[in-house]
Amino acid sequence: MGEEAEENMAVWLLGVKTLKIQPYSLPSLGPHDVKVRMKAVGICGSDVHHFKNMRVANFVVKKPMVMGHECAGIVEEIGSQVKSLAVGDRVALEPGICCRKCSICKNGRYNLCPEMKFFGSPPTNGSLANLVVHPANLCFKLPDNVSLEEGAMCEPLSVGVHACTRAGICPKTKVLIVGAGPIGLVTMLAARAFGAPKIVIVDIDERRLSFAKNLGADEIIHVSTDIQDVCEEVVKIQNAIGAGVDVSFDCVGFDKTMTMALAATCAGGKVCLVGLGQSEMSLPLTPAAAREIDVIGIFRYRNTWPLCIEFLRSGKIDVKPLITHRFSFTQQGVEDAFDISSQGGNAIKVMFNL
Amino acid sequence: MGKGGMSHGSSGGEEENMAAWLLGVNNLKIQPFKLPPLGPHDARIRMKAVGICGSDVHYLKEMKLADFVVKEPMVMGHECAGIIEEVGPEVEHLVPGDRVAIEPGISCWRCNLCKEGRYNLCTDMKFFATPPVHGSLANQIVHPADLCFKLPDNVSLEEGAMCEPLSVGVHACRRANIGPETNVLVMGAGPIGLVTLLAARAFGSPRIVIVDVDDHRLSVAKELGADETVKVSTDIKDVAAEIEQIKKAMGTGVDVSFDCAGFNKTMSTALGATFSGGKVCLVGMGHSIMTVPLTPAAVREIDVVGIFRYKNTWPLCIEFLRSGKIDVKPLITHRYGFSQKEVEEAFETSAHGGKAIKVMFNL
Repeated sequence: MGEEAEENMAVWLLGVKTLKIQPYSLPSLGPHDVKVRMKAVGICGSDVHHFKNMRVANFVVKKPMVMGHECAGIVEEIGSQVKSLAVGDRVALEPGICCRKCSICKNGRYNLCPEMKFFGSPPTNGSLANLVVHPANLCFKLPDNVSLEEGAMCEPLSVGVHACTRAGICPKTKVLIVGAGPIGLVTMLAARAFGAPKIVIVDIDERRLSFAKNLGADEIIHVSTDIQDVCEEVVKIQNAIGAGVDVSFDCVGFDKTMTMALAATCAGGKVCLVGLGQSEMSLPLTPAAAREIDVIGIFRYRNTWPLCIEFLRSGKIDVKPLITHRFSFTQQGVEDAFDISSQGGNAIKVMFNL
Repeated sequence: MGKGGMSHGSSGGEEENMAAWLLGVNNLKIQPFKLPPLGPHDARIRMKAVGICGSDVHYLKEMKLADFVVKEPMVMGHECAGIIEEVGPEVEHLVPGDRVAIEPGISCWRCNLCKEGRYNLCTDMKFFATPPVHGSLANQIVHPADLCFKLPDNVSLEEGAMCEPLSVGVHACRRANIGPETNVLVMGAGPIGLVTLLAARAFGSPRIVIVDVDDHRLSVAKELGADETVKVSTDIKDVAAEIEQIKKAMGTGVDVSFDCAGFNKTMSTALGATFSGGKVCLVGMGHSIMTVPLTPAAVREIDVVGIFRYKNTWPLCIEFLRSGKIDVKPLITHRYGFSQKEVEEAFETSAHGGKAIKVMFNL
């Protein structure tokens, strides 16, 4: 206890490809807040994008910012009104603080709140630090059999869980997943946990496909980056799935992947756009609309931590294989971690242990 | 009369049944149309009112529409209403003399889509005037009785024929969940935009903004009850400015947009103008490949809802017309009789667009 004894350090993004571990002064603890000692923090594609570009879409990094948002840790101190948590509790953190006052929040779709303050999304500092202060209601206690690393994995897993919820995945829905990167894989794990009877996953990278097979994909199909190959690949997908694709998840987000997803999905089905690849897309939207295929938009998640934790507790989902690389919280460790993560390939989830 | 009876004075044998046939590009001819025999669950109907749709005009000009190709002569027309002449022995709910509106498409009723109620998506759908199925611009047709819906006394046969385009609007409003809390944007004030406007109002939408490039169509929309109209251009560079105008006209956020035109510009505008968490329904079929800012819309969890024809809409349309909640009569702008010359003129008028909204045949 006592911040005077220890200086809180964090990983700051100072400029393009410039990360530095520096002091990070915490805000004071509000009555509904907790102070959490970070133990496991993962890196996401968006972190890498900020690292390389100092921006993601309309979010621009204008001043130094602490990185990281996929995290779990141990409660060190609780605010005066906090009843749900105690010092020593192991918790997974939901990054985004919404306003709780606008009509969007009050209607339960708080992930869309325009005043959202989200770890590692400028200008909000992230959680790749020794300690953070965060609202207690966004810290979820981990059962004894769920590790802190699994706790940190709740964040990417939440994207898959939210997508499956919006898409209505159940024991009747046969699923196509386009892209076997981290998001495609958590979506696959979530779809299985929601009961999907058959899951076909496609990717351009053979290593990622065999990884997906080991994680439980029913069928894997290698596809190209050439949009001319769509027709042929759709036939392969339909043969692999047997009775027709009810829901497709585009976890990549390019013209080709969306075109493939739209064409492969059965009449009356859904295509979820999860991956944020291109801004403007050229797609055969009308033929899809004429088969009443709905395109479902996915942005982050809402109310997913309890379900993710339950899936991990029961073993219905095992995220541990996704953690492929681990690094320590040192300047060198941080630089290596971002390097490996940005290379993709064999690296699925890169995790910091603090 | 009674079950399975034939109405007095007309039998399939005495009168030669004539229909308007599409023989080639811009080539329509009134010729004999031999009716199939009456099945036990069928009805024979004398056509009284038949409307022309944009798809009819498209077939006339191109002999095809998307993947549907007119390979042999085909009877035109699918928006229709008439009077029952004869019913098959198993038909219980209709008798000769009944005035009915007709739902065009015969689905298979056996596949999974049909059994789940999404029969509009049936891959074996036989739809009037979608090749190779003959349409209903004829003196008489034979059709399943369960697709013939009795009209109340205060609903005319022309209004009965209007149930077909109105069904598109009603189906779109259902899929989009229109209600007293949904503020609606309609892109395009042509016949489909207008029936969507009428349906949205009937479903309870509190505020409806409609946009078009044509001043006249906007004034028709205003008379039909649009809260605000916004004139827009065909230049995609104007999208950002028009989105601002639309938001201002709406006052509050747009919950649901209906793109009843179906072009890059209209979809891009709809996607940009819709509030987070809202829906954009793609109703109009303009272009096959569309280039739109889909990702910025997806990150606001805007869903794109596909619309194809309709399902289970006739009873609701008829009720809306009976109660007066919807008045489709102003949409019928031109009327023609069933002669060679008038058929040609009618299609000409419809193809011209502009002041012509719905062109109707009276037989």
